[in-house]
Amino acid sequence: MKFCFFHLMPFTGVKEVTPDWPTPNRVFDPARAHELYRDYVDTLVYAERCGFDWVGCNEHHFSPYGLMANCNLIGGALVYPTKTIRIAMMGNLVPLNNPIRVAEEYAMLDCMSGGRLVAGLMRGIPHEYIAYNIAPDASWSRQREAIALILKAWTEPEPFGWEGEHFQFRQVSIWPRPLQKPHPPLVISASSLESARFAGEMRATMGMVLISELALARECIQVYRESARAAGWEPRAENILIGMHTVIAESDDEARAALREARRYFDGVLMGGMRSAGRLVLQKTRYYQDQANRGRMQNRLARREAATLEEQIAGGMVLCGSPESVVRQIRRIHGELGNGIFNFTMKVGDLPDAVVRRGMELFRDRVLPHVRDL
Amino acid sequence: MKVEVRGSGRPLVYLHPASGVRWTSFLEKLSETRTVHMPTFPGFDGTASDETVSTRRGLAQQVGDYVQKEIGAACDVMGCSFGGAVALWLAIERPQCVDHLVLECPGGLQSVAPALRANPHAFYKALFAHPEKVVHARKPDEIEAQNRGMLAHYGAEEGKDPDLIDRLGSVQAMTLILHGTEDRIISAGTMQLLKSRLARAFLVYVWDAAHSIEVDQPERLAAVVQSFLERSDAFVVRYA
Repeated sequence: MKFCFFHLMPFTGVKEVTPDWPTPNRVFDPARAHELYRDYVDTLVYAERCGFDWVGCNEHHFSPYGLMANCNLIGGALVYPTKTIRIAMMGNLVPLNNPIRVAEEYAMLDCMSGGRLVAGLMRGIPHEYIAYNIAPDASWSRQREAIALILKAWTEPEPFGWEGEHFQFRQVSIWPRPLQKPHPPLVISASSLESARFAGEMRATMGMVLISELALARECIQVYRESARAAGWEPRAENILIGMHTVIAESDDEARAALREARRYFDGVLMGGMRSAGRLVLQKTRYYQDQANRGRMQNRLARREAATLEEQIAGGMVLCGSPESVVRQIRRIHGELGNGIFNFTMKVGDLPDAVVRRGMELFRDRVLPHVRDL
Repeated sequence: MKVEVRGSGRPLVYLHPASGVRWTSFLEKLSETRTVHMPTFPGFDGTASDETVSTRRGLAQQVGDYVQKEIGAACDVMGCSFGGAVALWLAIERPQCVDHLVLECPGGLQSVAPALRANPHAFYKALFAHPEKVVHARKPDEIEAQNRGMLAHYGAEEGKDPDLIDRLGSVQAMTLILHGTEDRIISAGTMQLLKSRLARAFLVYVWDAAHSIEVDQPERLAAVVQSFLERSDAFVVRYA
């Protein structure tokens, strides 16, 4: 079993809860951000010493939810202080960006890190489309075309042009090209049936977050496997990545109290504006293509929000507890889903960094030895 | 050789694929600004075959004769699939006839998979990523069969023309190579090889198009071809 230490880099210390989108930046404090970036990068680097296999981060816009408008900058900061850990960008929001720029920056990270890049090619969550003024209706067609173009840019031996629906380039020949051949491993989000199908088709590792029921997650994995087989390959356990909030403390009570408190900030401050914007996108566009897909996603989010922390732990939506409890929870989820990677978000909301670090050490000393060989 | 001419403007010779002559919407669009000359290769589409011509190289000689006699100067030449191989031979053997060269998924450079060759139905399906865009009526079965038979007549049934591959380096015409990202008949690797052998060539992938780019993505094809023909190598620069 492999483990990824994932960080959203939330902006903490905001007192004002607002449902506005975008979140007004009058409460943003650059001096505080300076401290946060340094602490967060240190924590990410520390993940290597705590036995994690990957270190991951991602792209978000216009809110305190995450301070990485371009996570590749953070990837660059992680490359040299680390030696072996994989640098997982999970990832760039492909439909919103210039695909050639994504191909170039990822190739830089791959060369700089000596071939340690994991290339996440994400479609993004709905509200990001408002931030970059891209029609959510076009998210799928942009995603498909952009990924095909990125793969071409990485693998094509001759300069080439591209005449597409969303992207046109007359001459492409990126410098550098990636170190890993034929290209860095891909991760594509696969939290819906449609995206699971696409990840299989693209020979990518599937990334699932926001699990509301293990049965639904199993359904996505089944679709992913079928799609991969149809594309001529067989996914291994390590091609299935399951991501969740993770709090590990000395005791169950301590972990639950910490997560409960941190989730207040996460749900209230960090998710406030995003929830409003997401609702607009879901109601007014075909981001989820049809009513059935939209319904499934809304039900999933509603189920997660309605569940108590105890229900979330029991339902496999979060990992939370003493090291011994978390070992049991990991074994159970792995038994149900057959995944080979867990993606831990241990900085939940405004959970104090000391608690996060202690959790990482408990993971190294008392969790990992019991689950490494799963 | 029967030649149909449509449109007005600078001359362009269009060399058809093995399915014969079809005035696709792309060609109609092209003929708004160009005088399009479309020869029917002998034996295709119900025309009489010419026993003295039995190779794609020989067809190129006939096209060259036509250009010199009827057009009288170098002109732009576009070839599609089978016609692409003929266009390459024309550029090799009669360089004085060719100004700009446009190759739409050109043939002659690789073998066509035997399973596809043996199954006309499967081959037809492999031509299109968007069969719903096929607006022209299928030709009568006997004409389609005759056209397929002409591949053997011209030594093109297997697809590959080793002599042509050997001489690609002598093509001097500024060339645009077009390949559909969903093409299952000609591989991207073959197009990369072609580009690497030509002195002055551009390779452009047309997204979401199979072998029949003209049918699958006529607007995208027109945009890039017209830009190339109008602006030559400056077509790489975006204009406002």
